[in-house]
Order: sequence, then C-alpha cells, then structure tokens
Amino acid sequence: MKKAIGDNMISKEWGFEKGLELVKQAGFDGIELWLGDVPWFQLSTADREVRELRRKVEDAGLAVSNVSTGLHWASPLSSRDPKVRAQAVRIVEREIETALLLGTDAILLVAGLVTEEVPYNEVYQRCLDALGQLGETAARAGVRIGCENCNAEHRFLMSPREFWQFLNDVHSPAVGIHLDVGNIHDTGFAEQWIEIHGPRITRIHVKDVMKKRGRCGDQSVYTNLFLGDNNWPAIRAAMTKVGYDGWLVAEMEARYRYAPDQQFYDTARAMDRLIAGRL
Amino acid sequence: MPRRQFLGCAAGTVAMGLWRLGRSPVRADASLTCVLLDLQRHGGLVESLSGYEAALTAAGVRWMRAGAQSVSPSPSSSRRAVLIVPGALEIPLPAVQAILSSLHAGASVILESGAGFAAGRDFAAHQVVLREQLQLRVEAPVPLWSAPARSRGIPYVDYTWPSPARIRDFSRVVPLGRQAGEIIARVDGLPVALKRQSGRGALIFLGSPLGPALWAGDGEARRWLCDVVARTEALPMAR
Repeated sequence: MKKAIGDNMISKEWGFEKGLELVKQAGFDGIELWLGDVPWFQLSTADREVRELRRKVEDAGLAVSNVSTGLHWASPLSSRDPKVRAQAVRIVEREIETALLLGTDAILLVAGLVTEEVPYNEVYQRCLDALGQLGETAARAGVRIGCENCNAEHRFLMSPREFWQFLNDVHSPAVGIHLDVGNIHDTGFAEQWIEIHGPRITRIHVKDVMKKRGRCGDQSVYTNLFLGDNNWPAIRAAMTKVGYDGWLVAEMEARYRYAPDQQFYDTARAMDRLIAGRL
Repeated sequence: MPRRQFLGCAAGTVAMGLWRLGRSPVRADASLTCVLLDLQRHGGLVESLSGYEAALTAAGVRWMRAGAQSVSPSPSSSRRAVLIVPGALEIPLPAVQAILSSLHAGASVILESGAGFAAGRDFAAHQVVLREQLQLRVEAPVPLWSAPARSRGIPYVDYTWPSPARIRDFSRVVPLGRQAGEIIARVDGLPVALKRQSGRGALIFLGSPLGPALWAGDGEARRWLCDVVARTEALPMAR
C-alpha cells in the first residue's frame, strides 16, 4: 500500500512547490490533487499547466494518487437544473482528462445530494443516468470513477448494502467507490464497508471520527488517526481480507492550530503503523 | 434502443390508428395510443421524456415516440388519442403544428412546460409561442424553494382533476395567468395546470413538470397520468 495526502492540506501561503517538499519529507509517496479547491488546480487550469503540476510532483519524488473534487457540493449531478447538471458532468470530464495528464487512473466524485428540495428517488435516478454515461467515458480513458461515501453529508447511499446496490445498478466496471473510513460516523462500521465493496474500492480516504459527537457548529467530528472511534485493527484486517493494496489517502478536516507542518509528519507515521499492522 | 423503449414503440406502432408517421402509414387499430413528442434539443428536460416512457410502459399503455415532423393525425380517426409533449422549452413550428393538428383532430394534448429553469431570453420565447400559437398565458417561473417561499415547507403540487393527487414539486413552476379553462392544479395558491377544450380536442397544460416524478417512480404521479389518459374519452372539457 502507498500513502498520499490531499493538496488541500497545503497552506495557501506555502504554495504548491513548498507543500510538495513537505509532503515528501513527511514520508508520503503521493499526493491527491483537488480540482477546484486549491489555487493551482482549477477548472480553468490549462492542459499545459496541469502537465507542469505533474512535473513538479514527479520532481519532488512523488506521484499523483488520484484527482478529487469538492465542486459537486455546489454543482451536483443530481441537480434539477439542467444547466447545473451539465456543469457537474463537465467537472467529471475534466477530472478524467486531468487524471490522464497527471498519470493517475482514479478520480473521486460526490455522486448526489439529497436535500429537502430534491428527493432521494430523483437523486438516485439522476445519478444512475449520469454515471452510466460517465462510466463509459471513464472506461475509454482507462480511469475509474470512485463515488465517495459521504453518508450523512449527502444523505444518500447511507448503508453499505445500499451503496452496493447502487453500483450494481450503475453497472459499469469503471465506476466504484472511493471509500472514506471516517465518513461512516455512527451509522456503521468501516471494516464492513471494506468487506462488502472489496474490488470496487478505487481509493481509501483515511481519517478518524468521533462517532458520538455529531456536528456541532464549526467543531469537526473528524480527528487525527487513532484519536477517534474507528476500529483500526479491524479496518486493517478487512483491507487484508479483500486484498486491498492501493493508495491510502489522508484527508484531515481539523488542522493543527500550531506547527501545521507537524500534522503531515504525524499523519504519515500513523499511516505507516496502519499499513504495517502495528496497532 | 433500450428494450423498454423498443417494446413501447413496437406496441405503439402496432396500435397506430390515429397517427401516420412520416411516409409510412401503419395498420389501423382501435386501441388508444399515446404519442410522445420528442423535442430533442428543443426540450428543457430530457428526463421528463424518459419518465413518460417508463410510466406508460409500466401501465401497459400503448405509446410511441415521434419527432414533430413525423406526427400527423389521421383525418379518418374515429377515436381519441393522446399527444404528450414532455419538458417543452423551445417549441419549434413543426411541434406547434403537430399540437394544433392533433387538437383539431380531436386528440388530447398534454403539454408540459420544461421552462422553469430557463434563462430570461429562452423563457420569453417559450412564453411568446404559448401565447401566440396556443393562446396560453403563462407568467415568469417562480422558485418555490427560495428564501421567501421556503417557510411553506410542503413540497407538493395538489391536482384536482381527473382525480385528486399530491405530487412533488420541481423546485420551480411556470404559473398560469388569467384565461379560459379549468385550473386543475395549484401549488402555494399558484395555478400551475389547466385543461381547456381546443378544437375538437382537449389541451392540458402542466406548469410543474410531471415527467421527473414519473421517472423517479412516483406511484401517485403514475396513477394520475393513467387517470388522465383514461379520461381522454370522457371529454369534452369545461371551457
């Protein structure tokens, strides 16, 4: 297994190059690039600029683990507005294009957003429709789409069986799950998600979660590895059971208030322990 | 072509008595047929068309999909049929002609507006065609979920004809202005659906799209559509 961390963890003041240096020094093998979340990687970033990002990543001795985006929170594939949906599709297409330019074979998206206004059944149907077509595009490009389990945040596909059925209905080998072991909160157990989805897992986001806290104002429910309630030995065992040997990608929400670079080192060490099974 | 669509088209083609498609008139049959007018790039809601296809297929109603150029009702028709125009935004002249000739021949036409999310200029064109070609007066789209209206908290359109039904709204509605005809649905007090006799037929205008709810499998929406189709023979309607 290889370990990566998101470039959205890099402080804007540091900039991309300095951030890459830190990521490498901390011991990571790669970096997850977040389309639209960082100034150096936007929808408007031209192909030659994306190639330049890749050069910088490789010069730093790293690889791109995958392309992710948070843009679908504002422009979901499940929107009722056809113009918003078209933009959502364009975001995924750009993720696929840039994945190829960056030398990686996986992208992340948030499949749909159930709201008081847009009901579950509509979201389900619209996501099936969109992902059926995008799956074909991804397959042609040799890229896998990982739909992230955002559980409580997108109020969609809340249980592992539900997600499994959804992927069955999408019925594309190019569409799987980007599993986030922190997002499950108190609705289940990450190790069971891993076991159910097995080969459909494209990447794994790692973070810990304080299951009993729930969201409270701006206080994060997420925390550093091993500080929360996830059963890490069980998670590691499930990875072994299903033969997952891909990227583990750190996704921290709460940041160190002081010495923010230390969080990179601490996270990398914790991931080493997780990979080695020394828990 | 998906199997469901193929089966629907096949059933529709066998049953075609009222409709001649292009240059290939088909064998007459007395069964009621629904024709889904596919506006293609002129439509505002692609999923609406899929919704009607799914609902009619599930209900065992004979239907077929046709482009505006290929729809022409047979003057020798003795029974009514239903022309459904799902998610209409831009309504090109051939589509207007298909609607008018269908009404003239005694068909029922369900015209569903897909203009709720349209930009200003596109909506204005939609409004003009409805007013000048079909004598339907509609007002600018109303967002039901924006802050001032949000307190209502009830996401349903209430239909009163042909049977009471409560169906999810679609975030924005195209309300009707004052005009002849019977208001058959309201949301938040706004009139959003109307039926009116037109020619020998009946025009049913939907300002809140039904197709997406049909597509999502809403049982009440599907029942309501079936009721409308079944009632088309019980017209004429109120002026």
